[in-house]
Amino acid sequence: METFRIKNLTFTYPEKSRPALCDVNLDINIGEMVVLCGQSGSGKTTLLRNMKPLIAPHGKLEGLIEFYGTDVNELSQEVQASRIGYVLQNPDAQIVTDKVWHELAFGLESLGMDTKTIRLRVAEMASFFGIQGWFHKDVNELSGGQKQLLNLASVMAMQPDVLILDEPTSQLDPIAAGDFLTTVGKINRELGTTVIITEHRLEDVLPMADRAVVMDGGRIIADDTPANVGAILAKKKHPMFMAMPSPLQAYAILFNEGMGKELECPVDVRTGRNWLTKLMAGRTPSVTELKADEESLPKDPETGKTPEPSIEMKDVWFRYSRNDSDVIKDLSLSVYPGEIFCIVGGNGTGKTTAMSLAAGLRKAYRGRVKVKGRTAMLPQNPQILFTEDTVREELKDGMGTMATSDFLDVERLMDSHPYDLSGGEQQRVALAKILQTEPDILLLDEPTKGLDNELKQKLAGILDELKKEGVTILMVSHDVEFCGRYGDRCAMFFDGKIITTNAPRTFFSGNSFYTTAVNRMSRHIFGNAVNVDDLVELIRANE
Amino acid sequence: MRNTFATYHPIIEFGFFCVVIGIGMFMIHPVFLAIGASAAFIFAILTGGRGSLKFTLCFLLPMIILITVINPLVNHQGATILFHMRYSYVTAEAAIYGLLMGMMLAAIMLWFSSYNKVMTSDKFTYLFGRIMPSISLIFTMVMRFIPNYKIQIKRIADAQKAAGGGREAETLKEKIHSGIKIISIMFTWALENSIDSADSMRSRGYGLKNRSRFSIYRFDRRDGMAALFLAVMTIIVLAGCISGACHAEYFPEIAFAKATALQTASYIAFACICYFPVFIEVKEVLVWKHLESKI
Repeated sequence: METFRIKNLTFTYPEKSRPALCDVNLDINIGEMVVLCGQSGSGKTTLLRNMKPLIAPHGKLEGLIEFYGTDVNELSQEVQASRIGYVLQNPDAQIVTDKVWHELAFGLESLGMDTKTIRLRVAEMASFFGIQGWFHKDVNELSGGQKQLLNLASVMAMQPDVLILDEPTSQLDPIAAGDFLTTVGKINRELGTTVIITEHRLEDVLPMADRAVVMDGGRIIADDTPANVGAILAKKKHPMFMAMPSPLQAYAILFNEGMGKELECPVDVRTGRNWLTKLMAGRTPSVTELKADEESLPKDPETGKTPEPSIEMKDVWFRYSRNDSDVIKDLSLSVYPGEIFCIVGGNGTGKTTAMSLAAGLRKAYRGRVKVKGRTAMLPQNPQILFTEDTVREELKDGMGTMATSDFLDVERLMDSHPYDLSGGEQQRVALAKILQTEPDILLLDEPTKGLDNELKQKLAGILDELKKEGVTILMVSHDVEFCGRYGDRCAMFFDGKIITTNAPRTFFSGNSFYTTAVNRMSRHIFGNAVNVDDLVELIRANE
Repeated sequence: MRNTFATYHPIIEFGFFCVVIGIGMFMIHPVFLAIGASAAFIFAILTGGRGSLKFTLCFLLPMIILITVINPLVNHQGATILFHMRYSYVTAEAAIYGLLMGMMLAAIMLWFSSYNKVMTSDKFTYLFGRIMPSISLIFTMVMRFIPNYKIQIKRIADAQKAAGGGREAETLKEKIHSGIKIISIMFTWALENSIDSADSMRSRGYGLKNRSRFSIYRFDRRDGMAALFLAVMTIIVLAGCISGACHAEYFPEIAFAKATALQTASYIAFACICYFPVFIEVKEVLVWKHLESKI
């Protein structure tokens, strides 16, 4: 018997002519881990929510969803609550109570269990998830990663048969996301709980999964093991393959050129490395390195000279209050007009603080911060910029300027409420909104958080356009893949200062841990491949 | 700061504060006030440390002095005239009464400062959730959302400022305008988030019948002993107060009830109650000293 059996499911939202889900057939076996992928708006969330009618969207449902042989719509609320676990995207909004222990018990209280049983269940869960250390804490003291783990644990305390996760890590940094996904993997392996998960970060989750299901426009277009799905997408030349992990992308590109057709599709760095080794077997590569790009500062097209930096920090020190320890220590940094400067580095190293210094939100207590021109900062969560009821109202001051230019693609969103837009659209509108002030310097805090690959490319296009206009772009990001591909210069932030700055290729080929997946899988053969294009170019050069 | 009293069952803690604050408020009597204020002070230092000391010296002491001075200026009862002023006079009784009032207020404020350290919100909701289960969950959620909203407001304010090039609102009109903007964003954001919260609650079965209540508190033998001890002591004190054995009069002349065995017993019992948290803290320290000396 299957955990879920979905037959000819079609779902249409009210007042929409096109169905959001179209004739979906899917079986999910007991104990399986299934990754559901697809671009934003492909119907992933709609499908997942329909599996738990308690939180299903309104609309017209045709077809059948069976849970252990029973139609889900006939399941009692109690069964739905306890046997189908569901973890949502936003770590903060899901937490209901103020104490960690109380949150863990929340679902069990709903089911009316007695104190003794709850005590045992809560204790078990806290031990399994390693929560003992913060069991008595206020939830507000937790980090984002801990919050999401708590959400997972409080769902697991109800001992569900199946765990449904809807982009659970989109709000987390990569380290916390990795920890979270490892725990999900552990639940699947050690407890045998069936797992259905949607994710942008496929590099972490695909290698763990038994099956990958790809959706497009409300239909399932591929349903197989992750490696086979890679091959299917490659054959179809489907745009979704750009969202796949880089080893898979490289495979797909070369596959279509007739290279490596006999080899198995790689899904992670380890298999990618093996794939590359096999592909290059018996050949001594003649070209092992691409031309290293020297640290090129932008030049004025007329004079040929490097312009004055628009952000200049010299020996800057900062802390939040007198008795705190320093967050920024002896930071020096110059950012020039017309470049994309990326700051990467771990959590809590002071990256975002450095940015708020540049934005003028905080003042350094020692050292000099010189900012030439008007700054504008795009916050991590663009929602908090919106004040009006429609996008048109939001942008009315900037009609006809850069804010409404074609490349932002906000024209068709004009009459929507900003909160009704998807994450990527909200970000573009927010960007348009802050561009109304015609800033010289754009500060971006984690701009790729929660965006899928297609949207990331779109964002890169916008940044490139702005760069051409002479805007200085300083961004702080965890997304090494994005910085490696689109940044002009990358800087490693650690312990309150910048450790090294370089052009991306030199930068990432010099790092061994903090670098892109492509670099990690190819460094044993090629010297400085950073992104998929580099790798493909090098392989072709040796053909 | 470590606080042994806070490890007791919430009902003991809540009962304790009700008794010391209740009796402290109604018994304007020098012995009671001396016992109450000193115990409140020591306990506040134990729970709050340096902050409580600063609070006492910088705020409570001046407050006591101020009340001692102001009371005789407005209150002219009392037989013993200390000195005459141009149109008025000051009596010793009114001054002493003012001093005692000041001490009472100070003691109550100190008790409340310890109350906040000991009776955390979860203990409060635990106690009152029995009486009103649905309100208690709302209270828990409010306790969760208030700090959450505070952080969010800061974020919104920063984002608004940074989006406009880091410029602060200067004129009053601008400030009001930006304040309204921030609140309106906050409101939309909170509504949007509450949809997720509601989903998360429903998804975990909220709204099913027979919801039970879980807590991590257990009423153990130690709590039972403490409850018994505090109850007996409270009965003695109440007996002393109600029977008039601890009566005190200030106007027109200061007069105390005659010393009786019940009076002395009430004093001792009240001291036992007020110093209970301090006593267990000291006991804990001594026990640990002893244990550590054996290692």
